[in-house]
Amino acid sequence: MTNMPHNALIEQLPHRRMEAWKWTDVRGAAVSEPQGLSAACNPTIAAPSGIDISTEGVAPSESVMGKLAVTFAHNATVITVPAGFKSDAPVLLSDMKSGHARLIFKIGKGAEISVTETHESGAASFVNIDMRFDLAQGAKLSRTIFHNDCADMTRISTAQINAWADAEITQHTLSFGGGLTRFETRIASLGENLKAEIHGAYLLNDKRHCDMTSYIDLGAQSAHIRQSVKGVVAGKARGVFQGKFHVRSPAQFTDAEMRHDAMMLSDTCQIRAKPELEIYADDVACAHGNTVGALDESALFYMRQRGIPLRQARALLTEAFVAEAFDGMADNSDFMSRITDWLEQNS
Amino acid sequence: MIKIKNLTATVNDGQQTILNGLSLEVPAGEVHAIMGPNGAGKSTLSYVLTGKDGYDVTDGSVDYLGQDLLAMEPEERASAGLFLSFQYPLEIPGVPTMHFLRTALNAQRKSRGEDIMAAPEFLKKARAIAADLKIKPDMLKRPLNVGFSGGEKKRMEIFQMMMLEPKFIIMDETDSGLDVDALRIVADGVNALRAPDRGMLIITHYQRLLDYIVPDRVHVLSDGKIVASGDADFAKLLEKEGYDKYAA
Repeated sequence: MTNMPHNALIEQLPHRRMEAWKWTDVRGAAVSEPQGLSAACNPTIAAPSGIDISTEGVAPSESVMGKLAVTFAHNATVITVPAGFKSDAPVLLSDMKSGHARLIFKIGKGAEISVTETHESGAASFVNIDMRFDLAQGAKLSRTIFHNDCADMTRISTAQINAWADAEITQHTLSFGGGLTRFETRIASLGENLKAEIHGAYLLNDKRHCDMTSYIDLGAQSAHIRQSVKGVVAGKARGVFQGKFHVRSPAQFTDAEMRHDAMMLSDTCQIRAKPELEIYADDVACAHGNTVGALDESALFYMRQRGIPLRQARALLTEAFVAEAFDGMADNSDFMSRITDWLEQNS
Repeated sequence: MIKIKNLTATVNDGQQTILNGLSLEVPAGEVHAIMGPNGAGKSTLSYVLTGKDGYDVTDGSVDYLGQDLLAMEPEERASAGLFLSFQYPLEIPGVPTMHFLRTALNAQRKSRGEDIMAAPEFLKKARAIAADLKIKPDMLKRPLNVGFSGGEKKRMEIFQMMMLEPKFIIMDETDSGLDVDALRIVADGVNALRAPDRGMLIITHYQRLLDYIVPDRVHVLSDGKIVASGDADFAKLLEKEGYDKYAA
């Protein structure tokens, strides 16, 4: 525990006058001195045998929230996956309910690992999880992230993924939001042939907020990136998507597509989206698309004409819309049943 | 079975009257055809009867099996046995045809207080009807109507109709987009559903469909009301003489 006057701490938090945080005002959410703001968090980590877990002093990450994590969490928990490691069992991360944590995954050459993260809390608090994944040549990482917080929770989770040649990244995120939530994924390609599938969905009701931000920094050639984020927002909730592909001049033959599609279920909800491409290589195929809309009234009438009640028709159409984000998962049944439950309550 | 009296409906906040005092009665067991020029109000009639938003009924009544049809929600009308084969069937992305149809069938059954149909029985029935209509099994796994041709969509409407076994069927330009072979398959399906307790209203531009589904009565709809009626031969006369003499 580090003692820092509240005002000094507040000064360090990102706020809405910063371009990258203009829609997710962490400072505003921390003014009330929430529990966990100046405490460490010790997540529960369950790993298959052969994976080493240790605590080390590691230089802080560059990001503003990363620096803050060092102040309160001090050392990082380092999860080392040896070269060539393979297991059907995932690393399970949970109990990230309050405070700051630093987690570093070192994934050896050719290793394949799945990480399942549960970000969930039923009591108001402040959580800041700063993660780093280092993927050696040919390493494969599959992240599955589930998030559901109470309505007055503030949660920032940042992952910096550094990928050497021939690495593969698959990520699926499902968020039901919280008071103020941001999942930020930053990928840096340090070697050629990166393959990344970064998909997610947020479904928000009441006054919940979820921000899915990503920054894909491509510095080597022949990267293949697919990103699709789906949003469903009801009540007075707010969904935020910020995505950027930064294609540097050595990153020739990049093939990258980004999509964000959101559905507004009420007149009072909000969607904020900023898809960006910044390209310095001349032989690339990059695209981004962004849509915000409502359910198709004609399709709803067609379904009702067949006898499907309005609520059920809305839920069915919305579920089909969201499901696309999780089509590529080996097993999406858990996500889909949670989505179905949510839609039954909120359609 | 269905008694439409003096039905008047407007769009655009009353600025445009599409149905203008339309009266029509279709008894159980009969097939009636409605013919008429473009813009006569044929599709509007099908939408007003099935409860689509965007139409204001300003006068008249529709009695359907003793119930006030116009007071019911679209899904209640469907559960009461009213079925519309759409002129332009909608695409429902991401919802597999079989899942859609089983959801619809069981929603109707639930609303009528009947037991839901179990998956094996449903599949057996669906396979048999699909075979009759020459619908390939893989089409039933695809999202409803997504990427289907115009003819395939129309055939899928008939498939849904035969699965749901409605009491009163409205077919809106079902023949458009169908080649001769498909037309015969569709007509066979429709004729198989003709029954003493079932009524049908067939909306069509052309007499062609009526060679295959022979109606008991033929009506001309012009300027929002029925202006002439006759038997099946009347359709042939209309085809020959055109609608001009019935225009308002």
